[in-house]
Amino acid sequence: MLSQEHITGHAATAIDEGGMLTMLVPALTILAVVLCGLFAAMRVKNKAPAFVTVALLAASFVAVLMTYLNLGVEKTWIAHGFDWINFSWSGSENRKLTTHALIANFSFYLDGLTILWMLFVTGLGTLIALYASEYMSHDVGAGYCRFFAAFSLFVFSMACLVMADNFLLLYLGWEGVGLCSYLLIGYFYKKPSAVAAAKKAFIVNRIGDLFLALGIMLIYTHFGSLEYTTVFAQTETYIEALKEGNLEVIPATVQLIPLLLMGGAFGKSAQLPLYVWLPDAMEGPTPVSALIHAATMVTAGVFLVARTYPLFLLSEHALPAVAWIGALTAFFSATIGMAQFDIKRIMAYSTVSQLGYMFCGLGVLTSVGGAFHVFTHAFFKAMLFLACGAVMHGFAGQLDLRKLSGVGFMRGWKVTTVAMLVGCLNLAGFPIITSGYWSKDMILGEAFANPHTQAIGWILLLTAGLTAYYTFRVFFRVFVGPVQYEMGDEHHGAHEDAHGHGEATHAPAHATHATPHAPGWAINTVLAVLAISAFAIIPFTYSHGGWVHTMIEGSTARYEGAAAYLGHGEHAHGTFLGFEAHGALMVVSGIVGAIGIVIAWWLHYAGRTTAATSRADALLPKLGPIPRWAQHKWYVDEFYDFLIVRPLWVLSNIFHFIDQYIVDGIVDLFGAAPSLTGKAVRPSQSGELHSYAAWMAGGMAVLILIVILVAT
Amino acid sequence: MSGRLAFVNPEIALFAGTCVVMVLGLSRTFRTRKASAWVAGAAIVVAGFLAWFSTPSLSEAVCPITGHLFSEPVTASQGQMLLPEMVPFAKTMIAAVGLMLLLAMAGTVDRADEERIAAGRATFDPLRSNRAEFYAFFLFSLTGLMLTASADDLIWLFLALELTSLPTYIMVAISTSRNRSREAAVKYFFLGALGAAVFLYGFTLIYGGTGSTNLNEIASSFREHGISTLAMAGVLMSLLGLAFKIAAVPMHYYTPDVYEGAAPQVSGFLAFVPKAAGFIAILLLTAAVGWEYAGGAVGVNSLMASDAPEALRQVAGGKQLPEVLRLTLWVMAALTMTVGNVLAVLQTSVKRILAYSSIAHSGYMLVGVIAGPVGDTFTRNGVAAVLFYLLAYGVTSAGTFAVLAALERSRDRSGEPGEVEHLHDIRGLCASHPALGWAFVICNLSLLGLPPLLGFFGKLPLFTAGIAAGEIPLVVILGVNSAIGAYYYLRLAFTPFLEKPEDDAEPVAAAPFRSRAVAAVASAAVVLALSAFGGRAMVMSLNAAKYRPSPLPLEVKHDVNGEPAAHDVAGVERAPDDFHE
Repeated sequence: MLSQEHITGHAATAIDEGGMLTMLVPALTILAVVLCGLFAAMRVKNKAPAFVTVALLAASFVAVLMTYLNLGVEKTWIAHGFDWINFSWSGSENRKLTTHALIANFSFYLDGLTILWMLFVTGLGTLIALYASEYMSHDVGAGYCRFFAAFSLFVFSMACLVMADNFLLLYLGWEGVGLCSYLLIGYFYKKPSAVAAAKKAFIVNRIGDLFLALGIMLIYTHFGSLEYTTVFAQTETYIEALKEGNLEVIPATVQLIPLLLMGGAFGKSAQLPLYVWLPDAMEGPTPVSALIHAATMVTAGVFLVARTYPLFLLSEHALPAVAWIGALTAFFSATIGMAQFDIKRIMAYSTVSQLGYMFCGLGVLTSVGGAFHVFTHAFFKAMLFLACGAVMHGFAGQLDLRKLSGVGFMRGWKVTTVAMLVGCLNLAGFPIITSGYWSKDMILGEAFANPHTQAIGWILLLTAGLTAYYTFRVFFRVFVGPVQYEMGDEHHGAHEDAHGHGEATHAPAHATHATPHAPGWAINTVLAVLAISAFAIIPFTYSHGGWVHTMIEGSTARYEGAAAYLGHGEHAHGTFLGFEAHGALMVVSGIVGAIGIVIAWWLHYAGRTTAATSRADALLPKLGPIPRWAQHKWYVDEFYDFLIVRPLWVLSNIFHFIDQYIVDGIVDLFGAAPSLTGKAVRPSQSGELHSYAAWMAGGMAVLILIVILVAT
Repeated sequence: MSGRLAFVNPEIALFAGTCVVMVLGLSRTFRTRKASAWVAGAAIVVAGFLAWFSTPSLSEAVCPITGHLFSEPVTASQGQMLLPEMVPFAKTMIAAVGLMLLLAMAGTVDRADEERIAAGRATFDPLRSNRAEFYAFFLFSLTGLMLTASADDLIWLFLALELTSLPTYIMVAISTSRNRSREAAVKYFFLGALGAAVFLYGFTLIYGGTGSTNLNEIASSFREHGISTLAMAGVLMSLLGLAFKIAAVPMHYYTPDVYEGAAPQVSGFLAFVPKAAGFIAILLLTAAVGWEYAGGAVGVNSLMASDAPEALRQVAGGKQLPEVLRLTLWVMAALTMTVGNVLAVLQTSVKRILAYSSIAHSGYMLVGVIAGPVGDTFTRNGVAAVLFYLLAYGVTSAGTFAVLAALERSRDRSGEPGEVEHLHDIRGLCASHPALGWAFVICNLSLLGLPPLLGFFGKLPLFTAGIAAGEIPLVVILGVNSAIGAYYYLRLAFTPFLEKPEDDAEPVAAAPFRSRAVAAVASAAVVLALSAFGGRAMVMSLNAAKYRPSPLPLEVKHDVNGEPAAHDVAGVERAPDDFHE
């Protein structure tokens, strides 16, 4: 469907100064952080922090929207905030005087890609903050303030990451979102599993960040600048050379850069082999999972690749690697998702899997498809998480799909159920009426359209079927079927008095939560808005990505028709079993999705009488140990533990011994020297005036004597 | 002459403030007396603005307050200076740090008397009151410091230095009612007089050797005729005398006793003001000598091995101070930082630790003086490093001492609240007084030079400028000393938040003067702000270090009335072209 003339041969976009309105986004979000801090200091015990955050985030959204409406995306705009880092120095290399500069301003680079990302970051941020105002209500007080402060700080960092006009500010935002993610995963810091998950997320991300940092340093050493405009101006020349097929003019250093950046992207976006942190990150409050670990932060890796797409085009191996890793991750995590019982974890694995799709989109040269999928996924995945969160909130933390059934038939759960259904249809890629179908189809079609990436296409197609199955497994088990439930064991403990149910004294904690409580207006509103927008975006986007396409084609993520080595020239048109790829896939992917749904219906809904059992139970033993392995996530965590954690632990113990007894011993020996010297010199500090005068005069004499002796 | 006056506008503002303060402080009504501190603050702010807006631009600049056009007369006198751009930077820095110190000074003197008057148990007695003197001397000292920065003549320099120092002796004496303060003041005064005598002797020898007291003329004389032995001895003696001001070895002995005896806020004052005066004077003197001599050697060890007479030859055209001066400063720097640090390690009194560490910081800064303004970037220019370090150290040490000033223990028998002095007094400070505790932690980590903080950005150029100047052994000594410094600074930084006070420990209370706490928190905030956004200050300090190695010949001849005659000829609007660079 996406033919070459749409995406090739785009001249470099004009760059102009403007768009200062976007400076409001960091200003407003940091204001929200400060205000939440003040609320905490004032010991506010109401929902003020939430509403301040919602209002300021909404204002940020309006600022971005206004910028888009006023400026459009035909040009790239640079909004200069203030000079941040600006060093220059001269040195001599090979006897030539050279001038170096390190410039990284607090400036924003506003192209279609930036605006697209910022629109959904601030828009979803606002909605999810509104949702959280109700969801977190059991924690009103210091914790509530802390939550919203970190939440706003996250949007601030994300804004820096997305809008930066240089790699340093991007890195700052990158680390900022990592920090906020850590803070929010570990929000329930008294719960050991939450703390462990926070640490895991932080440490695994560090591995990726190391690669990103190295990539940025290499960019600086090679291109002599960190500013996008300068760097991308230089990549233009390389790309021109590539179009003529001169692959060898590109230095090896430049080819290494995208591989390093890719490492950073895979850490942040939870791809193989660094995906392990994301499922555990579900320990955080659900709004956090929805915003940070589904809709926005985890797409930062996709953003990074899209932002530095010109660099990725320069390497023979970078984009194929991106595509392959994406495809394998998509498939691998889908298999794990099929065997899980915790509905939030299923959603987490589906996020990892869908992120794989997005990387595939970038890797098979449909950056529009990748961005399109990011965009649709942000809506429906946030919605799925929020619906799961509503269930978790209402059933006291119950997330096991074997202990919940028929939620949709209970009083007050209609909106949640409809939202869940819409989300599931989107995720499963139900034909025509869901936006998820259109975006996924674009990636699938493009994968098959390129003869070199047919294998990736097959993996993705199979994954699409698995996705439909595990998605509807959740829906059929939890939301329909016989009404049966078991409450979770989370009875908001010490916060009981601050609980949003009312000020009156409750009966004992267990009694309060013996019955589920349906979500209130804030949760329902947000779910309804998201459900409607998941449909509403279809008319704007279904044809070649439509609006998303216009956003991407002027941005850095445009495809220049340069990557001839991928065999994606005009003559190489891949097919799907002899049919034109895009057209065939529209039908086939729809059928595959439907099959997945039907299997889920037959195994998990038809004839099911209890919450705990289903027809699938009978089937499992026939598959041997595979389901068990999948349920244990293919033992990857154990494998990492064995391969990396244990050896490091042993090594660190050895080093600890060496440090404690050998190095410290030597240091102590040296450490004694200053105090011994001090003790020797100390007597001169007698406190007597005349002796001081004598020492001073004597000291001067000695000093002059030394100078005379040495210098003459 | 009017041009000259415009040049010292900040000093005039400070002096005017001083006069008002002296009168206001003797008023019968408490509110008027109290206003003296506000007037002092206003004078400092005005002086800071005047310094910044009246002097920096060499082209036409209009002072926003007086509307005076500063362009031409100012440039005429700036054109004669060796470090023409240093003046506005130094004065603005002095005003900024001075303001912070002033905040910490609240309630230093007359506290017991004022309490008695407020309780109606006594009436105001102007003869017993110290308030007027205290604030007036504070401003006098700052005036002297600013005058030091504008000095272009040895006599002016001497008078300015003494104007800086003399008030501090009295401030130390009246800062508390304890005998310890008086003892400290007496020691400080006598030893200060000794130091002043030494550098005054040096100045006379310089005059004897060159026949001039004008720094510019001295510099020209050195360049044209070389440095005679007499003049060299003069410079050497001057540097040794000035070592007293910066508390460098061997003139450092007074420091711990005086810092310990004075109230902490006055110690904070002593840590910055005389040190800044000393360093500015040293920079002016060394600039007159110039960093243009070729040394035959790198580092003191190789120097000893080298052919000695060659070292004395002092060939012009190189990039360092004359070997004799370089060696003096080298030894002084190495000894100063080492002695300061090793003695600080042994102390358990916070004030004494800070006193010894202030000695060590002087040693660090001497490295920048040795390196000189040769490099054209911030990281290679020693003078820029010294100026920036002065700013960083001034702000940070003001914060540290302000924290000590903002706390007090219960009153002793004389009714004077006990000072927070010992390390165990600050245990658990972050829990009991979070703002003060964290300000203390931040300031001390910055003084230590921990990387993201201001102190690191101050120390880094000292290292790099030292390396660029080829002073590798000295830089190694600097590094070792920084490590030793970490020992006691980490103790100071971690005691407030890692250790818990003992159960029977006497609780520490906040002093009833909120501005002291404000000073502490403000300086910690400035430390953080400059850590993140200090680039502009670095650029400014680099600009301030602009050095004019061969100053213009004196085009502006002075006629009998002292008026620059060139103005009459050239007209007021036209400035010589050289000044527009």
